[in-house]
Amino acid sequence: MSKTFDRFAGIIFLLIGLLFVIESQRISESSYGSEVGPDIFPIGLGTILILLSARLLYETFRYEAVIKNEESIKYKKFFIIFISAVLYAALLEPLGYVITTFLFLVIAFQTMESGKWLQTLVIATAFSFGVYYLFAEFLGGSLPGFPEF
Amino acid sequence: MSTLQFLMDGFSIAFQWQNILFAFVGVLIGTAVGVLPGIGPMSGVALLIPVTATITSGMPTEAAAASSIILLAGVYYGAMYGGSTTSILLNTPGESSSVVTTLDGYQMARQGRAGAALSIAAIGSFAAGIVSLIGLVLLAEPLSNIALQFGPAEYFSLMLLGLAAVSGLAGKSMTKALMMTVFGLMLGTIGIDAVSGIARFTYDLPILYSGLEFLTIAVGLFALGEVFKTILEREHEDGTIAKIGRILPTKQDLKDSAKPIMRGSLLGFFIGVLPGAGATLASFFSYIAEKKFSKTPEKFGTGAIAGVAGPESANNAASGGAMIPLLTLGIPGSGTTAILMGALIMYNIQPGPLLFDDHPEVAWGLIASMFVGNLMLLILNMPLVKVFAKIIETPKKYLLPIIIAISFFGVYAVQYTTFDLFLLLACGILGYLLVKNDFPVAPLVLALVLGPMIENNLRRALTISNGDFMIFFTKPLSLILLIVAAAWLLIPLLLKFKGRTIVLNEED
Repeated sequence: MSKTFDRFAGIIFLLIGLLFVIESQRISESSYGSEVGPDIFPIGLGTILILLSARLLYETFRYEAVIKNEESIKYKKFFIIFISAVLYAALLEPLGYVITTFLFLVIAFQTMESGKWLQTLVIATAFSFGVYYLFAEFLGGSLPGFPEF
Repeated sequence: MSTLQFLMDGFSIAFQWQNILFAFVGVLIGTAVGVLPGIGPMSGVALLIPVTATITSGMPTEAAAASSIILLAGVYYGAMYGGSTTSILLNTPGESSSVVTTLDGYQMARQGRAGAALSIAAIGSFAAGIVSLIGLVLLAEPLSNIALQFGPAEYFSLMLLGLAAVSGLAGKSMTKALMMTVFGLMLGTIGIDAVSGIARFTYDLPILYSGLEFLTIAVGLFALGEVFKTILEREHEDGTIAKIGRILPTKQDLKDSAKPIMRGSLLGFFIGVLPGAGATLASFFSYIAEKKFSKTPEKFGTGAIAGVAGPESANNAASGGAMIPLLTLGIPGSGTTAILMGALIMYNIQPGPLLFDDHPEVAWGLIASMFVGNLMLLILNMPLVKVFAKIIETPKKYLLPIIIAISFFGVYAVQYTTFDLFLLLACGILGYLLVKNDFPVAPLVLALVLGPMIENNLRRALTISNGDFMIFFTKPLSLILLIVAAAWLLIPLLLKFKGRTIVLNEED
């Protein structure tokens, strides 16, 4: 467990709790004939979260930091795959499912371990076309298949 | 109609050809999920919800729900069978619930008795599956009758108990577990309030009116979180896979494991019924119990077959037992059952005491299909175990990107919005960071599923009492449930204060 992360998380969740309590005040009055409006539950939750976050922050000053043998973390690989996933999400609608899925898989396979292009291309093609045709044609689901020109 | 009659009706549903197929696909995928280290039953089930939703989309709602839940539950208990395979052959548990199996299972494999260990694990799991199903059949009716007496106050307290139990056992730090629970409840309030119809925390964004989709969050936190973890901290798959050899156990093996299997089944079942205590805890307790019962405790850790038979039976029995609170009370006791519950709610079927009256074909069809599924697993796991062992060798290079692609497909096919894809990715990162720092995500998902129901019951109870919170303490049943909930949180704290170490439940 990392002290810095715990402190950071404690502060973030504290702010989230605070935001919830403040924003709950703005929830409009209910016409429902009850004293218990839609704001009670979020206010209560926000308050509890604030208390718990404060408790976590307090705890971070109490325990000894455990130093872990950090394994080598592969940031580069991860970022390439993550950014291609973000692009995949953004381009799914304009470019269609088949093209984006194919491209994403090719990039991700090669990032994980380069080489074996034939296998990469075969698996990526089979997956993207296979899923699309099975889903859209066979099961009648709707999925943007290809870009509309 | 008697229970037996209902069960027979259930079998007539389970034996419809498409449901046999669904159960088969479910247990097959479940076994694969169990074998593959890195994908647990929780992410397996979460990933398959959208897939089953699209496959069953042409069927009438109730039949679609029955078929989907048959498949999804199959993944859940199938994973319990598969988890033992890697523990025994590779000394790497496929699931957290098979951790203790490595102790004796791998030793047996090194002595050339891998086949016997695997088949005993399968036989034990089968016996346990049947024991827990019989328990489920017997307890379903009486428990749901009790639950029918519940008013909103009792329901609120019961759900609070469920959350307290899961948070109390969920991780290293209870503060963190509780924070995750509250955060999950808060996420559940986003959207249009079901009671008053007022939009909360939507900031005029139409996409938020229906609330955050539970499925997206579950797939993101579990499946993507695990994928990101493996990409970032790729463990080297070293270690050779042990040879399996002779599959059938000897008579002596069977004799040695008969009692551990029975004990493990019963113990696992009762632990499974308790909310919060899942399959992992059951397998740990069973191992400890077997060591106590054994005449030769010194043999444990060197390849004692009882050390495989007991825990493997217990974890499967626990997964059956965990279905009881879900089906009869509508309270999921673990992360995986929370996801199963989310799937049922997607089909507009509310698990709980009325399930058995309103949708007998879903409830009894599921129970009957679990008998069929367990039989399939026994048949699959005995002769085909060598085939499954091959799955371990699936290169991560292809597996991880395909899991990302499947989750994208699943979320998009159900939601049709790019917003959910971005939410999915964000939850993936969040899931990775939270789990890495000991913030358990199972309570978050459980709270997200239970949140709207807790709030509704809270407000209904308070409306009945004109805003007086004492209603939760004056109703005896509600008071008892609240006391148990408080005890669940306080007792571990007290034990910790006294310096005792406690067994904690890993996510399962």
